[in-house]
Amino acid sequence: MLRESGVAFFSSLTLHSLAMAFVVGINLALAFSLLGLIPSLLNRRFEPFFALHWWAVGLIFVSGVALLIAYPAKALTNPVFYLKFTALSAGLLITRRLQRSVSGRTAAHQPPPGDKFSSRIPTALAMLSCWMLTIGAGRFLAYTHSVLLASRYF
Amino acid sequence: MEQALLAFSHGTGIFDFMHSPWGWPVAESLHFLGLSLLIGTVGVFDLRMIGLGPGIPYRNLHRMVPIGVLGYAINLVTGTMFLSSAPDQYLYNPAFQTKLGFMLLAGCNMIWFYTTCSTEVRTTSDSLPVSGRAKLIGTVSLLAWCTIIVCGRLITYYRPPYHWCFWC
Repeated sequence: MLRESGVAFFSSLTLHSLAMAFVVGINLALAFSLLGLIPSLLNRRFEPFFALHWWAVGLIFVSGVALLIAYPAKALTNPVFYLKFTALSAGLLITRRLQRSVSGRTAAHQPPPGDKFSSRIPTALAMLSCWMLTIGAGRFLAYTHSVLLASRYF
Repeated sequence: MEQALLAFSHGTGIFDFMHSPWGWPVAESLHFLGLSLLIGTVGVFDLRMIGLGPGIPYRNLHRMVPIGVLGYAINLVTGTMFLSSAPDQYLYNPAFQTKLGFMLLAGCNMIWFYTTCSTEVRTTSDSLPVSGRAKLIGTVSLLAWCTIIVCGRLITYYRPPYHWCFWC
């Protein structure tokens, strides 16, 4: 039904894209902050944006499940889907770890460079890799499937 | 227009690249990356002006805008690649036309911001809200970029000539 309903499928796809843009966008901003390209965002004042980020992650999950229900064979038979899922999960784990590391810190107290964040550059590079891989795999999903509908086998 | 775009695409090698197995998905990935850079920088700054994240210095978030401009430049290049490689699918597509309209709105809104209140916002104390006008500009900007994303997704669903459009 979801597949045949143009509105439902399109809404899921649009919500997925919108939420993904917010999640990737906020993570890219955090990565640039870790790299020192922009002033640090890693303090408790950024918490409302983390909250928005996790709401958007919820939307990605709900719309992603809807898209999966619409074309299960298309995604589940494609290794690119698992690549996207792995990169997305790894990216979110890094974000969660980063959020936890700043949750006890006040805006006024910033750690000196090289303090707790001696691994800030590897972390930022890992974040950038995860999110670029997530986007790339998401786009390639539409072009690399070998099976569209499981029903063709019945 | 269509012929000129196609000639440009063929002349520059864009057409051949875009019609290779990797061309379209690579360009789409870069296009989405550019859009995410815009949302992560300009969008976050807009949200801060609207009132999210009180205490975060406006001037710090404003320093992210050049990265947003980089995202916009990536989108301009990849968008031109899409348009010139299949102009008939875009020029007569109501979703694409609407997307361009909202891009124009976002551009005008940005000019309004820089000509009226950018200095005021950057010098506003971290703990104070910005003026009503700056909040309006932030809201319009955020809504415009979200609509641009929606219209971008809609392009596939309104491929000419099988679409419904009251002005086409």
